[in-house]
Amino acid sequence: MLEVKNLMVFFENALAINDLSLEVHQGEIVGVLGSNSAGKTTLMNTLSGLIIDMKKKEDRRGGERITVLGEIRYEGQEITLIEPYERVKRGIVLSRERHPIFPDSSVEENLKIASVLRKDQEIRKGMDFVYQIFSHLKEIRKRKAGFCSGGEQQMLSIGMALMTKPRLLLMDEPLLGLSPILQKDLIRATKQIRKEGVTILVTEQFARPLLPAIDRGYVIENGVLILFGTGRELMENPEVKAAYFGV
Amino acid sequence: MNKEPIKFRKERLDRGIKARCEDIFALSSYREILYLLLPRVLPVALLLVFPLFKDIVGLYWEKVLVITCAIALLSLSWDWLASVGLISLGQALFFGVGAYVTGSLNYAFKWPPLITIPLGTLGGALICTLLLLPVLRLRGVYFAIVTLTLPLLLMRFIETTKILGGTEGLSALTPLPSLWVELYVPVFTLLICLFGFRRLINEDYGLVLQGIRDNDRAVMSGAINIYWFKTQAVFLAALVGSFPGAFMTHYYQFVGMPAFALDYSILPLTAAVLGGVGTFAGPTLGAFILVPLSEVLRAFGTLRVVFYSAILIICVVGLPEGVFHYIRRKYHQFERMVEVG
Repeated sequence: MLEVKNLMVFFENALAINDLSLEVHQGEIVGVLGSNSAGKTTLMNTLSGLIIDMKKKEDRRGGERITVLGEIRYEGQEITLIEPYERVKRGIVLSRERHPIFPDSSVEENLKIASVLRKDQEIRKGMDFVYQIFSHLKEIRKRKAGFCSGGEQQMLSIGMALMTKPRLLLMDEPLLGLSPILQKDLIRATKQIRKEGVTILVTEQFARPLLPAIDRGYVIENGVLILFGTGRELMENPEVKAAYFGV
Repeated sequence: MNKEPIKFRKERLDRGIKARCEDIFALSSYREILYLLLPRVLPVALLLVFPLFKDIVGLYWEKVLVITCAIALLSLSWDWLASVGLISLGQALFFGVGAYVTGSLNYAFKWPPLITIPLGTLGGALICTLLLLPVLRLRGVYFAIVTLTLPLLLMRFIETTKILGGTEGLSALTPLPSLWVELYVPVFTLLICLFGFRRLINEDYGLVLQGIRDNDRAVMSGAINIYWFKTQAVFLAALVGSFPGAFMTHYYQFVGMPAFALDYSILPLTAAVLGGVGTFAGPTLGAFILVPLSEVLRAFGTLRVVFYSAILIICVVGLPEGVFHYIRRKYHQFERMVEVG
């Protein structure tokens, strides 16, 4: 479904992603593991196209020059240099790191804002789907999103991504700042989303809750792919154990 | 077997020389000294020498220099406020209040400019700070709105109540002692303010102010009273903004409602945006482009404003980073293509 070949991203002269290749097949949950500054968020921004926008803005201001080289193919089509909104229309949706939401709108309004691509009669259906996955959101749907807790905002952020009818959902550090119980809930929700036919690519630092849930995983470090395998293989790999389980 | 195409990207490199020679080692080579000093010394030297050639360039352009310095000071004050995160839309407030304080002191007590200009600057800055004190606690557009409105308010106030000369203003004020004072006082003040601000913003004090701009809550949790710092910053900006007002009053020997004119708000702002916000040298450069440009365009008669605005728009759209940032980047860095992979 998604195929990344020899991707390289430079921020000015710093190499953020170095010669990365990965594949995501239909219906999988694929994890990208890495510590801070491994290039996870850059990878997500590149896949979702946000980096194209950043690049244009920086070029206009004469700031850092961002260079993207390599090839990203989505369902057989080259999308490396396509604008982010175009990618969302094709079904690649990013739920960004640190759950950005519209703080002055209510939870329900946030979900409505995210459903521009849907027809009116579909919005209700999509919202029911989100409420079915995150039942807690239904209870707080009238509350201002800015006053929601971190976990609720994270659910809302993923819910908003779901409202845009994704076929490939990119989740950037969904577990960041959540308690272990909420992390478990979220991973259960992720599996449920996959059952609805959404392919998921998720980046994370916390390997322990994530690894059992993913089909395949890639481990990156300083922008370089160092390991890949199925979730089980990675769990038993001594290097991963040492680096991410603290054994 | 298809061959991989060779990929290139543009690499940006510092000229390197700068890193090596910011301290005593710079003295080891005249080329490095030149590289470092040229961008600073050349404009300053030009500025200092320009009044000496008054017979060649003509008195008209010397007067343009004075006005340019005044606008440059106002845009410096705008940039200083912007680096604390306060976007002002009314530099005319500082200019007008400074002008009126100086003018009324001279008119009422017949004090000489040597006393009224410093007093007008200080008094104007104090009055402006007090007027702006209530909005310092608010974030967002409030500061801009209040600074935009206050000059208009004061102008109409003077017009209707007929205090301080009303619509006619105060005229026949003491002239400045000599042409050299007229030319060199603004030039020296501009240089002192420019380099002073550049220095101050890099000191600890300036870092606090920049911190307030970037994240005031984080500064507050660092046990710093941000309102006190904002007040100080506004006072400094008002000081620098009031001086041209005070000076121009004696220069024109007149103070009236035009001191609160919108020009004094808009010109410094455009100069800062054109030159590059946040560098202090940028707004000064912007003023030195805009004001003489508007004089040159007088040849076009009524179409002057059209050409002026068109040039301004082209500059701002083409170089959103500002002229100064662009020049500095080109001076310190060069680019080349490198192979990747």
